Amino acid sequence: MSRGNARAARRARQRRRRERRLQRRSGGSQALRALTTSALALPGLAERAAAAGAPVDYRADYRYARYSEDAISRSKVAVGGETERYEIDIHQFRLEAPIGQSFDLGLEVAHETMSGATPWYVTPDPNGGDDPIQVMTEATIDEARTDVLLSGNHYRDESVLNAGLGFSIENDYMAYNGSLGGERSFNEQNTTVSGGIGFSYDLIEPEDTNLFPERPDREDKQSYSLFAGVAQVLGRNTQVQTSLTYQHQRGFLSDPYKRAFVENSPIPDDRPDTRNQFAWLTQLRRHFRKIDGTLHVDYQFFFDDWEMRSHTIELAWYQTLFDRFRLVPSFRYYSQSQADFYAPFYVTARSDGHAASDYRLSPFGAISGGIKAETRFQTWSLLWDVNVSYQRYVSDADYALESVDVENPGLVSYDLISAGLTLHF
Amino acid sequence: MRALRPTLMVCLLLSLGLGGCSVVRPWEREALARSDMAWEPDPLEASLDSHIRFSKEASLSGGTAGGGGCGCN
Repeated sequence: MSRGNARAARRARQRRRRERRLQRRSGGSQALRALTTSALALPGLAERAAAAGAPVDYRADYRYARYSEDAISRSKVAVGGETERYEIDIHQFRLEAPIGQSFDLGLEVAHETMSGATPWYVTPDPNGGDDPIQVMTEATIDEARTDVLLSGNHYRDESVLNAGLGFSIENDYMAYNGSLGGERSFNEQNTTVSGGIGFSYDLIEPEDTNLFPERPDREDKQSYSLFAGVAQVLGRNTQVQTSLTYQHQRGFLSDPYKRAFVENSPIPDDRPDTRNQFAWLTQLRRHFRKIDGTLHVDYQFFFDDWEMRSHTIELAWYQTLFDRFRLVPSFRYYSQSQADFYAPFYVTARSDGHAASDYRLSPFGAISGGIKAETRFQTWSLLWDVNVSYQRYVSDADYALESVDVENPGLVSYDLISAGLTLHF
Repeated sequence: MRALRPTLMVCLLLSLGLGGCSVVRPWEREALARSDMAWEPDPLEASLDSHIRFSKEASLSGGTAGGGGCGCN
């Protein structure tokens, strides 16, 4: 071997060693991070098809998001009514920390502030037109909400046990929740089954009861959840997961701030005091090595005993560029049918007394699309991920799978922008 | 063989139209361990999206057993 060739071979060996070092620091860490990403989220489905090991790095996330609901069209609002809807700012913070060899703890805090007007009730068009008219709340509402969740995982050889406790506070609303879950892998960690239970107690003390005496002073509700899922590796590049979630709610399920127009008079929103909901969610992840991209496909079918049905399909493409950049275009389609007691307004009262004109219970479809850009860089021994994203959400009765006779005028569309930062240390 | 039956059933159910089931060894999991192969690669984003949809739509968000609070305008 000539001296030049030997030098070239030495340089190649040094380059390979450098690359392996970088891979260990970056790629290796990335793989580990991938194994532990969202392991501290609410006890839920398996993080991936094989049970993950305990994380060894600390991780801190911060995210700011702002979403602006489109102003409601003047032609859909009662004369003189407010047309501006909500502007919402959200700050989220999350910290996860390994505790010893087999535990971790996570803390997630979200704080959001809201300002704007909101739909109140719907009336027939006073001019005799076919389209109903939205009456908005008379004044701009300012609210704030803080949500705190503490969660932990215990990692064993082939399984993970997890638990979470949280609460959420608003001026007029307080919710406490807890959950327990677990997952176990078998078939050489190619199959993971997971399951869990959850509980939430919500207390509402509506404001301005002196101005609106029909509002209750204090009401509560309880929610009980149960889920089971199975995740399966289908090959070196593909995994799939499917799960069933059931939730039983009882108590005050109406909205104390909404009314329904019944027999030419607005009366308090009145919904059944129990609700049983089922969701069947299936998710597919497939990586395409040649183009360094990953496809996400999620489908959910939902139904409940208020006779609502919905279909949701979500698609996302994660394209990695130059090793440290990632672009993520996404698309979502959603369609729901109406609750059996819902109507935009009621010519005659229902025999059971229920009445609700909330657009959330109306039949509609929604299309949303988004784009997200991510990058990663390293300073000293710290690894940073930075991302920005934009999303547009539009709902319309014409987007529903089934034809809709009367569109609810309160349907909402919005823009969402956000920026996030993650630090690994 | 008896122990494998549930696994085979699971594989059969999950892999309809997806190319079948094969055991992937730990050293073959490079792609599966990627961050973009996670069910929710960005937990804060997933949490926010779930909350916004809860406040705009009537459906339950599947796959978890916790959470609460309103923030529903």
